[in-house]
Amino acid sequence: MKKITKFMKKPWFLGILVFAMAIVVIWNIPIEKRKYGFSQSGLATDYTGLLPERIEKVVNVHNRNELQRIVQEANKKGKHISIAGLQHSQGGHTYYKDGIVLDMRRFNRILEVNEQAKTVRVESGASWEDVQEAVTPYGLALQVTQSQSIFTIGGSLSVNAHGRDIRFGPMAETVREMTVLTPTGEIKHLTRDDSEEWMTYILGGYGLFGVILDVTLNLTENEVYTIHTEEIETGKYESYLHRVLENQNIAMHYARISVAPGTFLDEMYVIDYNRTRKQAKITSLKEEEGVRVSKFALDLGRKGGKLEDLFWESQRLYINSIDGKTITRNNAMRSESTFMEFTTPGRVEVLQEFFIPVDSYEEYMKSLKDLLPHNDQDEDFKVHNITVRYAAKDHMTSLPYAKEDMLGLVVLIQHGLKEKEIAHAKTMIQKWTDVTLQYGGTYYLPYYPYQTKEQFKESYPNWKNFKEQKAERDPNGVFVNLFYDHYMK
Amino acid sequence: MQNKIERYIPLIVTVGQVVIFPYYIVWLKEVSFSYTLFAWLFATFSFAAAWGYRFFQSRGEKPRSFITSVYVAMGVVYIVVGYWKLLIEYLPYVALMTQIVLGFLQGYFRAWHTKQRSYHVHAINHYLIVGVIMIALSFMKVVSPSIFLTVFGIILCMCGIWEVVRRKKFRNSC
Ligand SMILES: Cc1cc2nc3c(=O)[nH]c(=O)nc-3n(C[C@H](O)[C@H](O)[C@H](O)COP(=O)(O)OP(=O)(O)OC[C@H]3O[C@@H](n4cnc5c(N)ncnc54)[C@H](O)[C@@H]3O)c2cc1C
Repeated sequence: MKKITKFMKKPWFLGILVFAMAIVVIWNIPIEKRKYGFSQSGLATDYTGLLPERIEKVVNVHNRNELQRIVQEANKKGKHISIAGLQHSQGGHTYYKDGIVLDMRRFNRILEVNEQAKTVRVESGASWEDVQEAVTPYGLALQVTQSQSIFTIGGSLSVNAHGRDIRFGPMAETVREMTVLTPTGEIKHLTRDDSEEWMTYILGGYGLFGVILDVTLNLTENEVYTIHTEEIETGKYESYLHRVLENQNIAMHYARISVAPGTFLDEMYVIDYNRTRKQAKITSLKEEEGVRVSKFALDLGRKGGKLEDLFWESQRLYINSIDGKTITRNNAMRSESTFMEFTTPGRVEVLQEFFIPVDSYEEYMKSLKDLLPHNDQDEDFKVHNITVRYAAKDHMTSLPYAKEDMLGLVVLIQHGLKEKEIAHAKTMIQKWTDVTLQYGGTYYLPYYPYQTKEQFKESYPNWKNFKEQKAERDPNGVFVNLFYDHYMK
Repeated sequence: MQNKIERYIPLIVTVGQVVIFPYYIVWLKEVSFSYTLFAWLFATFSFAAAWGYRFFQSRGEKPRSFITSVYVAMGVVYIVVGYWKLLIEYLPYVALMTQIVLGFLQGYFRAWHTKQRSYHVHAINHYLIVGVIMIALSFMKVVSPSIFLTVFGIILCMCGIWEVVRRKKFRNSC
């Protein structure tokens, strides 16, 4: 014992101890340092923090009767209500000037997992992560989610989100039943054959047609997949995708397009998830992995020029390293997101997504090459990543982005926050939207509205019907948000 | 006069460190994001202090020459913490560095202080003065902890300079 104490008092030992402790601390410093959401001073923002607005109050929703009372009172007193899930939308979809915000995050119970019927009934404030934790022990998995599990069910259904699945259609189609609180304060239980067509407007309704209380979602098996990766030329992607869609053995798919100067929009990495028809035996879900390494690589890419080429090469190594590996369906639906964290003052990173009919992809890419700078190192408007996903035709919602089978190009953009820089970003994104529209495409609505009203109307020709139904079903205009103000007021 | 200064500087440093502690804690809590990280940053401080203490002891009986640098270095750390408007991205890393440097310097200082003749007198004075100052501070409307941190940093640097001047004079008079 004496020897140990003596040893521990050696200066070099203490030095090493401090060094080791420092490494432990550095490793545990969180990557996500930004705070967004509702502040105590009554200011609200969402994920990008771009549209701060003063609100009246935030109500933490716990039960449906309390919620019903708030909505009925708002109808009487002419108040405005917005609904917030995890606030990853980026265009003021979750709040309104001087309005009440319903914070749904604690309305998150898993009500029932039905193993035989393969369904889960869940309150709308639960996240996909909560649902995955509940269904994985039964060997079940979700049919459609985003690529990550960091969103609420209510928030995801209200934008009719999509992800890597290529077999189950739009997310809205995976809803079997739901309970909603209508804008006039009625609680309604809805099924797919509801004659009043509430589902058509609530799903993909951006929180404007009342509150989703709970939903029953169809599930599928938590199958084990083998990952197949490949590098291909952009010009060959269309035919590759057709082969993927025809091959029923492939359950999920996505791709990545190079934005590095050396291979700008010429090269792609494709990732397929091949069925093994084996149900996963493991019940645990994977946690975020390799976040620091991924963030380091992305930060290199953010510098542009040769470093962006290097980033693309590093992705090649990654893609090769996962080729042939196996993964469960649930794990394939919960990719890492924290590595995207970006906190440089005076700048912002935003997402945009453009949808293009599958068969127009090649010509569209050629047009994009003419529009975008190949090397954006010295530009203010920078494109850091483009991911491609398949979005099957949506027959169900009122504002469908997939008017036919589409490819969605998710774009990660960085730009400055000075007035001039925002104006430039707006011009670039509007031009990009124009090109998309020329090819019969659309753009995704949960993100910051750089687009004009005219572009919105062209992308969503059914907007008039949406607006009329809104006026009919919400006669007092209770449910509003900044997104609605921007496009439809 | 020489003796008085020799007595007072360490007293200013020890009292100041305790008085500034709550403000430093507020700053550290803000930059550490979670309680776990906050606690680990403190553990790092403690280990670094043990290291500083042992480092002094292992150098034998000639360490007086270093103490001025210790005052100045501690002063610089407090000024950096209080004055610099650092990016949120770098704050936790800076906090880690300051914990290591401050811990080491405080350990070193304490080991040196215990060897001084005035140490035991200081101990009692120190507790009394800290009590009185803390009561006084409780009546002040604090604008921001960073002002206190910066002021204390400047005082420490002045102590360092004061000590150098004092020693120079002492040498010349010999
Ligand atoms: C990093 C990142 C990655 C993304 N990846 C994808 C992706 O892979 N695929 C994809 O499709 N989208 C993606 N998105 C967009 C994302 O799916 C939407 O922003 C989604 O709405 C986020 O869910 P949320 O819980 O944060 O919803 P929120 O942003 O809180 O709300 C979104 C909308 O839903 C409404 N709403 C929320 N809860 C309810 C409720 N209970 N009842 C009625 N209305 C409600 C709100 O009023 C609002 O209009 C991504 C976004 C980010 C930031």
